[in-house]
Amino acid sequence: MVENSARLRILIVDDEALIRWSMSETLIHAGYAVTEAGNGKEGFQRLADGPRPDVILLDYRLPDSNDLKLLETIRHVVPSSQVIVMTAYGTRAVKAGALTLGACRVVSKPIEIRDLAPLVHRAYESRPQ
Amino acid sequence: MSSNNFCAPQESASILAALLEKSDDAIIRADLDGVIIGWSPGASRLYGYRTEETIGAPVGMLIPEDKWDEFVRMLDQIRAGIAVNYHETVRRAKDGRLLNVLISILPVSDHTRRTVSALSIARDLTVLKRAESAHRASDAGWRAIFDSAVDGIIVIDAKGMIESFNAAAEQIFGFRADEVLGRSVNVLMPPPYCDEHDQYIASYLAGGPAKIIGIGREVTARRRNGEVFPARLAVGGASVDGQTRFTGIVHDLTERVEMERRLREQAALAKLGEMSAIVAHEVRNALAGVRGAVQVIGARLPEGSREAAVADEVVQRLDALTTIVKDMLLFAHLPEPKLEPMDVGQLVASTASFARNDPAFRDIRIDVLGSAQAILGDADLLRTVLLNLLTNSAQAIGVGAIRVSIGARETVCQIVVADDGPGVPPEIRGRLFTPFFTTKARGSGLGLATAKRIIEAHGGRLRVEFPAEGGTRAVVELPALTSAVG
Repeated sequence: MVENSARLRILIVDDEALIRWSMSETLIHAGYAVTEAGNGKEGFQRLADGPRPDVILLDYRLPDSNDLKLLETIRHVVPSSQVIVMTAYGTRAVKAGALTLGACRVVSKPIEIRDLAPLVHRAYESRPQ
Repeated sequence: MSSNNFCAPQESASILAALLEKSDDAIIRADLDGVIIGWSPGASRLYGYRTEETIGAPVGMLIPEDKWDEFVRMLDQIRAGIAVNYHETVRRAKDGRLLNVLISILPVSDHTRRTVSALSIARDLTVLKRAESAHRASDAGWRAIFDSAVDGIIVIDAKGMIESFNAAAEQIFGFRADEVLGRSVNVLMPPPYCDEHDQYIASYLAGGPAKIIGIGREVTARRRNGEVFPARLAVGGASVDGQTRFTGIVHDLTERVEMERRLREQAALAKLGEMSAIVAHEVRNALAGVRGAVQVIGARLPEGSREAAVADEVVQRLDALTTIVKDMLLFAHLPEPKLEPMDVGQLVASTASFARNDPAFRDIRIDVLGSAQAILGDADLLRTVLLNLLTNSAQAIGVGAIRVSIGARETVCQIVVADDGPGVPPEIRGRLFTPFFTTKARGSGLGLATAKRIIEAHGGRLRVEFPAEGGTRAVVELPALTSAVG
């Protein structure tokens, strides 16, 4: 359990249901408030519905969103949310592109479940004050 | 003419008349003083004099000045009753032309066997000489073409013995013509063709089906140094004066085949690249999902239970699959190295300590020795190479020590990863760098292929050695910083 994280809100955007489920289970278990989205459109809906997530775990490639398009939208709509981009196809160009567009971390899939809560916590801690 | 089996005595006169009339040879009869007493129509045709101009005239009018001495000697010989047989000399025609002739002069005797006159029979060689010289010229021309041909041209006889071997053939096969002329053409073929070739010829000459003659096809040939190479061979058969000969035109395909191989490899890589993009997303993503779910479920199972152990095992299997996908991605999309000055010793040390934390290296000791000057390299990519070499060694020995020695020669930094494992059987050593070739039960077969590409992208070289005393040495050579910059 990560300290002082009880009220932190996490949004997971990934089209792979098992990834969403395992991450969400792990983070809920760690004390976070988690919402999920299975594609870009749903992800955008969650942002519009509010409340603003503290950390967003965003899949690099979504069926209805061209690569990093959703990241651009997120930076625009909720600039203070920390975004961790997850990719199964972690080329250097992908990583560099995501960081340029404002992601705070780019991580390769599979993400070690045991490392997930600390990863999210560090991302939150590193937010611009 | 008294004793012959050609004609009866009463027929002699008419046959003689016919011979004199129709023969193209110049037939002249002269007395022993050299005065013409008989002149055939053939003589008129050759020398241009009419019969009536010559009877009673001296034979000397046909002799060029420089042949006068010879003529006097021949006349003496005839007077002595000795024939002149097939003597090549020169005569002058009425119009002054000099003619090459082949001449025979026979003494003619009377019933007392005394020589009374001479019969001279001369054949014009001028036309023959001209043809011969034209033939020689065309032979030289043919030889020039033969030797300037870009393709190898080899002529063999019906027994397969080499009769001609042009300059290009010397170039292609590494034999000088004088080393192969008269030898069987099968010295230019590797087994089994060299043993079967005699039979091919025999069967073709016996009317069997042509397998290559008049067709041409790709064959395997052998150079003097034993090297076997692909070639295009076109063979034509010809019969001259009843002698069968075969002419083979050989085009060395080594370069073309090599180029085709490279193109095929590039095409395969491009296809692999397309495929890997799909694999990356569909397979890797799905694997990540399954792995996460199994981990979460596993964490809820009673600690130490059989089910929890199975969940752990599933995760390990998934990790192995993920590694194969990762290897494929790296091989298909090898990034351009981002070269930065770096310390090889530090790279080796950090990679070794990373490996030591890997369960696969539980029973392995990694000793690092030596140091080297800085190089220009991509640390991420070089770490991948080192980790791959360490993993190969660890799998080879199972338990024991891997020695990594770093050394430097003037312009080259060398990293040697050595183990005392069982090595690799000689028959598969040549395939170690072939993509997808693996001897391991589990592995993508891309590790060494990728490592080699990474090192070569750094301008370096990677080779694997098998010392006589056993074990395996993987040798990485990278350009040292000084030479890379200079």
